[in-house]
Amino acid sequence: MTTAKSPRRSWGAQLVLNALLWVIPVALLWLVATPLYNRFLLGSAENLVRLTESPNVTNLLRKDDHFAYVQRRDFPPAKSLVHSFRVTDVHFHLLMLGVLFLAVPRVPWRRRLENLGWAVLITVFFDILLIFFYVKFAYATQLGAWSLEHYGAFGRNFWGLGKHLLDLPFKFSLPFLLWAGFYFNDLMAEIRPRPA
Amino acid sequence: MANKQTASKPPSSASGSFWQRNRRELTFLILFVVILGGSFTLISVNWVNDHVVEPFTAGIAWLSGGVLHLLGQSVTMTGTVIRNPRFAVNIRNGCNGVEAMFIFIAAVLAFPASWKSRLAGLGLGILAIQVVNLVRVVALFLTGVYFPKIFDTSHTVIWQTIVILCGVLLWIFWANRFAMPPASEPAT
Repeated sequence: MTTAKSPRRSWGAQLVLNALLWVIPVALLWLVATPLYNRFLLGSAENLVRLTESPNVTNLLRKDDHFAYVQRRDFPPAKSLVHSFRVTDVHFHLLMLGVLFLAVPRVPWRRRLENLGWAVLITVFFDILLIFFYVKFAYATQLGAWSLEHYGAFGRNFWGLGKHLLDLPFKFSLPFLLWAGFYFNDLMAEIRPRPA
Repeated sequence: MANKQTASKPPSSASGSFWQRNRRELTFLILFVVILGGSFTLISVNWVNDHVVEPFTAGIAWLSGGVLHLLGQSVTMTGTVIRNPRFAVNIRNGCNGVEAMFIFIAAVLAFPASWKSRLAGLGLGILAIQVVNLVRVVALFLTGVYFPKIFDTSHTVIWQTIVILCGVLLWIFWANRFAMPPASEPAT
């Protein structure tokens, strides 16, 4: 009975402890990589937005280390910066992702890093898509008469709800979703029926 | 008959085996996404936001204001806003712990466990998440008053990460320690 109980307790507790230990190193790495990653995200998202417009009028401009502007070149210069957002907010979930994936106990390093690599790749695509939705949301709902003229009720609701869902629940839960996708069986293998 | 079965089976058995091999995790992931997406779609409806989320958030503001009073801060609360002469915060969606709570609830409901374990996990988990969120609101207000330069980073990166990570780790601990596998499944 004791032997059936102790591995289950120690796996979960060990994961929580590991997670606490990984927070600082992962946060430091994320801080160092943030300026570079911001540039990469803005460039990639700008290309994605341009795939959906003709002529190409959207620029995503870096304002500082954290913020970016959405610029429309077809607007008068004084009004061309139509929206701003915090790029760092888009990808801080990488912190959670790193911590969760590195904290899993009793998994060989090679498998742990492989899984983390795939998860980071998926997250990068998600982040680019999220910025794309930020831009479309701004165009569809934040530009007053221009939005009403260019987007119908369906479009405004689609981009609005899409941005809402991607920006809150799925951005926050993506690290967990990926963790569960890669480690669900490890978790289940550690669960033992409790003694009566 | 046997030949007929063999001939007609391969495509479905291939997909069937994939489903069977990953049935538990796929079921969990699909249920999790559906519950999470459904709950957030529900609270994006204006009526639900105005009649449920806003009063709930105002309650958090009121409780946080009470704690700040205990810590010697002279604050006033108006709806979801907490203010003193030096600083004011408006608690909005994303800062009321609802996201972490829904992620936790969706994960608990999607996981194969007894209803008794689920209810116990939900009760204690939601309480723990709201306690952490209360600490977040109070800490953020104090950060705004005394260290305004780091408020933004603290608000969007540090505390969001702490609250969500806390919800996820609570779930992992619950699933690992307290959720029992269904009786039909052998313990591995």
